[in-house]
Amino acid sequence: MTTESVLRPAAEQQYAAELAALAAADDRPRPPRWRMSPQAVVTYVLGGRLADGTVITPKYVGDRRLVEVAVGTLVTDRALLLVGVPGTAKSWLSEHIAAAVSGNSMLTVQGTAGTGEDQVRYGWNYARLIAEGPSEAALVASPVMTAMRTGAVARIEELTRMPAEVQDSFITILSEKTLPVPELGIQVQAVPGFTVIATANDRDRGVNQMSSALARRFNTVVLPPPATEDAEVEIVLARAAQLGRALQLPAEPPALAEVRRVVRIFRELRNGSTVDGRTQLKKPSGSLSTAEAISVVTSGMALAGHFGDGTITADELASGLLGAVVKDRVSDTAAWREYLEAVVKERAEWRDLYRACQDAVG
Amino acid sequence: MTREQPLPERVTLLGIRHHGPGSARMVAAALAAVRPEVVLIEGPPEGDALLPHVPNLTPPVALLLHDEAEPSRAAFWPFAEFSPEWRAMKWAHANGVPVRFFDLPAAASLGASPEDTPADSPDDKPRAALDPLGTLAEAAGFDDPERWWEDVVEHHTDPEDLAEAVAEAMGALREEFADQVDARTLLREAAMRQNVRQALKDVEGPIAVVAGAWHVPALRTLPPASVDAAALKGLPRKKVSGTWVPWSHGRLASSSGYGAGVDSPGWYAHLWECAERGDAVPRWFAKACGVLRAEDLPASTASAVEAVRLADTLAAMRGRPSPGLSEVMEASLAVLCGGDTTPLRLVHEQLVVGERLGEVGDDVPTSPLAADLARLRKRLRLPASASIKPIRLDLRKDTDRERSKLLRRLEVLDVPWGTPDTTRTLGTFAEAWQLHWKPEFEVALAVAARHGTTVEAAAQTVLVTRAAEATRVVNAAEALSQSVGCEIPEAVAAARQALDRCAAAATDALELLAALPDLATTVRYGSVRGTDPELLRVALHGLLARGAVGLPLACRGVDEDTAERAVKAVEGADDAVRLAADDEHRDTWQRALKSLVAMPDAHGLPTGRATRLLWETGALDSTEVAARLHRAVSLAAGATAFVAGFLRGSAALLTADPRLFSVVDEWLTGLSGPDFAAALPLLRRAVGDFSPAERRMLGDRVKGTAGGTAASSDWDEDLAARLAGHVRALLGAAT
Repeated sequence: MTTESVLRPAAEQQYAAELAALAAADDRPRPPRWRMSPQAVVTYVLGGRLADGTVITPKYVGDRRLVEVAVGTLVTDRALLLVGVPGTAKSWLSEHIAAAVSGNSMLTVQGTAGTGEDQVRYGWNYARLIAEGPSEAALVASPVMTAMRTGAVARIEELTRMPAEVQDSFITILSEKTLPVPELGIQVQAVPGFTVIATANDRDRGVNQMSSALARRFNTVVLPPPATEDAEVEIVLARAAQLGRALQLPAEPPALAEVRRVVRIFRELRNGSTVDGRTQLKKPSGSLSTAEAISVVTSGMALAGHFGDGTITADELASGLLGAVVKDRVSDTAAWREYLEAVVKERAEWRDLYRACQDAVG
Repeated sequence: MTREQPLPERVTLLGIRHHGPGSARMVAAALAAVRPEVVLIEGPPEGDALLPHVPNLTPPVALLLHDEAEPSRAAFWPFAEFSPEWRAMKWAHANGVPVRFFDLPAAASLGASPEDTPADSPDDKPRAALDPLGTLAEAAGFDDPERWWEDVVEHHTDPEDLAEAVAEAMGALREEFADQVDARTLLREAAMRQNVRQALKDVEGPIAVVAGAWHVPALRTLPPASVDAAALKGLPRKKVSGTWVPWSHGRLASSSGYGAGVDSPGWYAHLWECAERGDAVPRWFAKACGVLRAEDLPASTASAVEAVRLADTLAAMRGRPSPGLSEVMEASLAVLCGGDTTPLRLVHEQLVVGERLGEVGDDVPTSPLAADLARLRKRLRLPASASIKPIRLDLRKDTDRERSKLLRRLEVLDVPWGTPDTTRTLGTFAEAWQLHWKPEFEVALAVAARHGTTVEAAAQTVLVTRAAEATRVVNAAEALSQSVGCEIPEAVAAARQALDRCAAAATDALELLAALPDLATTVRYGSVRGTDPELLRVALHGLLARGAVGLPLACRGVDEDTAERAVKAVEGADDAVRLAADDEHRDTWQRALKSLVAMPDAHGLPTGRATRLLWETGALDSTEVAARLHRAVSLAAGATAFVAGFLRGSAALLTADPRLFSVVDEWLTGLSGPDFAAALPLLRRAVGDFSPAERRMLGDRVKGTAGGTAASSDWDEDLAARLAGHVRALLGAAT
């Protein structure tokens, strides 16, 4: 399977060259079954330049200490819980750390309200179970079980969306590092290198609070929204350019000025006040995360590429902005209109955006 | 600068970081190796006389020096357990070696800036501007200078070479930042050199000098003595006295704005205490778990183990020999606090800053006043504490009453150790206080020392002076109530006299009345406070009688501001009368209100208020009130004021009290069409003061009256009877 043939290659496929270069240049001690040393993992995530000149692109823009704590947690074979509001790059960070540590980010359990214990522990191949009776061949291992056997990182996405009783099946896995299979009278014991990275968000509706017994078994790292406008602009620019390449959009990478406008709008609405702190704003109901800002920019790129002249203008952004801000038709439309009138209209250089957004709202 | 001579070999310069445990270890080790015959420490020479008391002190303590002529001109030199200077003093005492302060005399520094915050500006301004070791640490990429010191300096060098290395680094830094060395620093260094010369004359053997690393380059060579002597000529000379005072970790923290402060005194103290055993990190997490558990937050030993492992791993990943404050705090956040910064703040407050108050032994010379306070504290079992502690006093018990007296007297002396907690009213016999001892109170105590030798005597002097200087009734009344609270009969008598004097001279009835509420409370508390309440009541009556006579006139032809004052005075006085006056004077007051109401050209605001008050006591009936309201509307001028005065601040009462509501309601419904139209704007402005919630309540009340009778018929008599029975039982049980 080549990288070009899939819509979204996994981190270890897309950045295979960087990972290889890092592993080759790494002379520090590695924990058992790690592909590289913890310091190299941190470099992979935050970017840098190797001695041989290979440039490592930054995957996560943010506090170095947070990444160090996250990687340090995995070194002590503790489970890592990444918490944050939607769009703070929890899954993104989890995927890249797993790719760097085990070279495999795909041992993933996606948490939903319908996730059952068999997706976390193991299931059965029922045809075989009926034909041959219980045997290891009839056992269908979950990603977690595979990770335990191979000493890799298992990823749990949206842990708090799972029903509470399914969440609790992690307690023995995390504290005993074994997974008993009573039907066969065996137990799968984890080999060194096994660890878990879970992500959870504490803000959304429809989440199940974690039991304190489970929470105690995780080291928690809270990922904050980007601290400054510049950091957020940097993230959006980098990701939009990458995505544009991956999706083969015919548009040019967006101009800094347009991205800055989008980011400013998102930040102002998220914080409920303008950057100068003078005007109070209504907060829309959506989370207005960085991830959504990225998607506004990429959809703008797509529009510009296919229907425009290939460069993003206010017109391409307007409909994306409207869709990102207005999640609840009545209250959010009011908030958006108010923002347009009170803020966008007042900024002379934003006149084009104001007109475009006015047309989009209708 | 010709003929500069290098410092003789027998002088060991120990350049330190103030309040740095690493430096403290270096000093301790170096002193043990060098075994000097005299130790010189950075600090004012006036403090030398106080050095023999070091064995009886428990740090954190501070040397407090103040100008004898002007005690509020004072400065502190604080020392913690882990301060290098403190280690040097301890070593010198343990080994019987003389120790001296060798900085510029405090006499010069105290006089330097008498205007700007005298009590709070120690001579460390230059240090605040530049922390030399901190600058080096920052250049090396460390966030915490102590970490840098530990990692880079201590792990690689033995203590004696270390001093040399520090001196070299500082030499380079001094060249780099030559422009940041101000005239004061140069002056101080001249004084230091002079003192070093003196020490060289005095002893033959080795000498150890403990000074801020910054000063080391300036001490390495000695210019001709005459140059320094010339620089030091003409410095102000003052008589300076001082003492040791307890200090607190909180005040060491740089967040309190103290120049040479440290961010994490608690962590440094912990490092210092654990240095010998080498178990700083595990012990830290054990303490952190204790802090969290004390707040009922989950923190298991297993978590502590994991936190230690994470901190160690982080240190290893960052290439550091051992975890520092940032690693332990990050591990605490991730493992113990579940990523939540709120519990982490607890850990920060209790461990990283680690509030702690030092102690000063009995034999340390203090002012007689401070000694008296210490005696009282011991007798009343009220230890000073650096954290806020609430207490409750029952004034019927002797000890509690004494405590209350002490706190009130200290308040008079500008030492607000206790703040009365007014959020809860506990009745006549109980008081709630918040106790919080701040080290800077010592300065206020030193200032108050000139007023007397005991707390009581000093408070008496202050109160009697205040009474004698009072020119207004309000001031005299305040002095009186304070004197009663402090239970000082002489002061009470003086304040009584002052009150009579001021009342006689007062021409403004409102001023007289304004003093009443305070006095009324004092009357009520007087019996508990050992003052004859009758004495106070007579004073109250005197004021009331004078004020009542003048009231109607005082409300005539006045402007809005005065009218506002008048309303307040009338309200306050009315409360006071109900609280403390006898029947006869109640009548006097009522007559005064009546004549105010009857006065045609009095300002509407107080008149409206007086009408309302009279109606409440039944002196005016509802029809009369309705007539008054009616008359007010017919008058063009002052009408709004009257309605406003009548209704002011009574939104809740208006909704809840059917009588008041019906008076207004009847008056309104009785108005003819044009009259109603005329009254409308008045009414609107009158209720304009009400909050939106109150207006909504009032609106509901108005709407509710229409359906009120219908609703009442829905009552379930049985249920009501059962409920009433319960309520009665509850009340019966309560009384």
